[in-house]
Amino acid sequence: MSRESSSGAGVRVVDARLHLLSRQVLDVDGEPVTTVDDLELVAADARDDDAPRDAAPGEPAELGAILTGPVLVTRLLGGRPPASRWERVPWRDVGHVGTALELTVRADSLDVHWPEGWLREHVVGRIPGGRHDPEEAS
Amino acid sequence: MKKLLGVALGILTAIGGFVDIGDLVTNAVVGSRFGLSLVWVVVVGVVGICLFASMSGRVAAVSGRATFEIIRERLGPRAAGANLAASFAINLLTLTAEVGGIALALHLASSVEPRLWIPVAALAVWLVLWRVKFEVMENVAGLLGLLLVGFGVALFLLGPDWGELVRQAVPPSPPATEHVATYWYYAVALFGAAMTPYEVFFFSSGAVEEGWTAKDLAQNRVNVLVGFPLGGLLSVAIAACAAVVLLPAGIEVSSLSQIVLPVAQAGGTLLLAVVIVGIVAATFGAALETALSSGYTLAQYLGWSWGKFRRPARAARFHLTMVVALLLAVGILMTSVDPVTVTEMSVVFSAVALPLTYVPILLVANDPEYMGEHVNGRVTNALGMVYLVIVVVAAVAAIPLMIATGAGS
Repeated sequence: MSRESSSGAGVRVVDARLHLLSRQVLDVDGEPVTTVDDLELVAADARDDDAPRDAAPGEPAELGAILTGPVLVTRLLGGRPPASRWERVPWRDVGHVGTALELTVRADSLDVHWPEGWLREHVVGRIPGGRHDPEEAS
Repeated sequence: MKKLLGVALGILTAIGGFVDIGDLVTNAVVGSRFGLSLVWVVVVGVVGICLFASMSGRVAAVSGRATFEIIRERLGPRAAGANLAASFAINLLTLTAEVGGIALALHLASSVEPRLWIPVAALAVWLVLWRVKFEVMENVAGLLGLLLVGFGVALFLLGPDWGELVRQAVPPSPPATEHVATYWYYAVALFGAAMTPYEVFFFSSGAVEEGWTAKDLAQNRVNVLVGFPLGGLLSVAIAACAAVVLLPAGIEVSSLSQIVLPVAQAGGTLLLAVVIVGIVAATFGAALETALSSGYTLAQYLGWSWGKFRRPARAARFHLTMVVALLLAVGILMTSVDPVTVTEMSVVFSAVALPLTYVPILLVANDPEYMGEHVNGRVTNALGMVYLVIVVVAAVAAIPLMIATGAGS
């Protein structure tokens, strides 16, 4: 696994295995989004492109995205899902790495949010009381 | 004054919420077969659950991370996945036992066939999960569960030979009629019933639900350190009632009506009614906790949005998991399986799964990145290490003992 150091006032070394993998990802409101199931490493010069490419050996690599969804299965059982089935949270949306990774965007705006959103719209939100706030008096 | 009231309420709910169907059945079975010779296991179990519940509550309050997030983070996807599969299955088994327990208690009160009560009980559990505020849910179930004190009252009314009860307990002297392997099998079962992993999943997630911070740690400690031991006393009272009435009569507990027999004998219908309300409340509260735990474990492993404090639509997969778990529990019960048997199975398998849950809690409670100044002290760590050994021994011994004794028969 790689080491990613963020430059700035003080350099903080982040161990990918210890500080990133399997950590909880929270959106800007503190709502859980997913867990870091895997990380995508891309060539440093192509990180913000629409079509990031794998770094060639010897070339500088950077974190491109947090991966989730089907990659969990392949991390458990081996193999690699086709790139079209990757569920990505771009690394540029990550604001802070603490005991959880905090994003700077809302969960609803992310592609990885679709299963939650689908169930909300089609199942849970349709049951009476599904949108009731339990902290209010009923 | 208000603060004092809050402390009192916290302690009372911890007492009332301590006993569930696992404690109820296992203690009565053990009391009716071994007298009080296994009381030491209840003591060991209560100290253990105090230790790890307060530790997981402290981790959740300080870092905001609940137990299964920590398990996933420390053990990685593979080992945590194995833990999830085991915990989820045991949790489902426990949920099944609790829902069955509600139905059996309502059957005792109404003589309506338990199988008719099962869907009603499950629906009631779901409605509470769907609609009721977390604090209200916990306090009502906990306070009504206090009615189990009726077992203690019954014990005094029975006027037992106290000297004889103490002689059974210290030093532990199992009856000569029972095989030594059976004795140890029930020791493991009783330990599993006291330390069931769902209690720490629920406790740590509950700390997040109630928005605890480092400021609430003192209250957390008092709730656990006072409430759980008093709850453990209720367990001992249940075992003692069985030891006084059922052991001499040679009755082996196999149904809920036998568990409450000593109460009916000592206090008549009135005390029986009180205890039945207590059993319904205790099993109902535990059904809520186990149903929530099934959602907590899966959601925290996969990083889904979870929590009863959110609108159900804002934690859609979490709420759906609980619905599915409840439906599965109803399905299992509808096959006419005996909830008492399910309970006995669930406590033994709980013992098997204990190490995978308690090791990560201990590790993270020592991690300054999570805990800052609130890392474990030396005494806590020493106790934690001792319990780790006990937990591993119990986990390794559980299955062989189960096979060797034919599940205690």
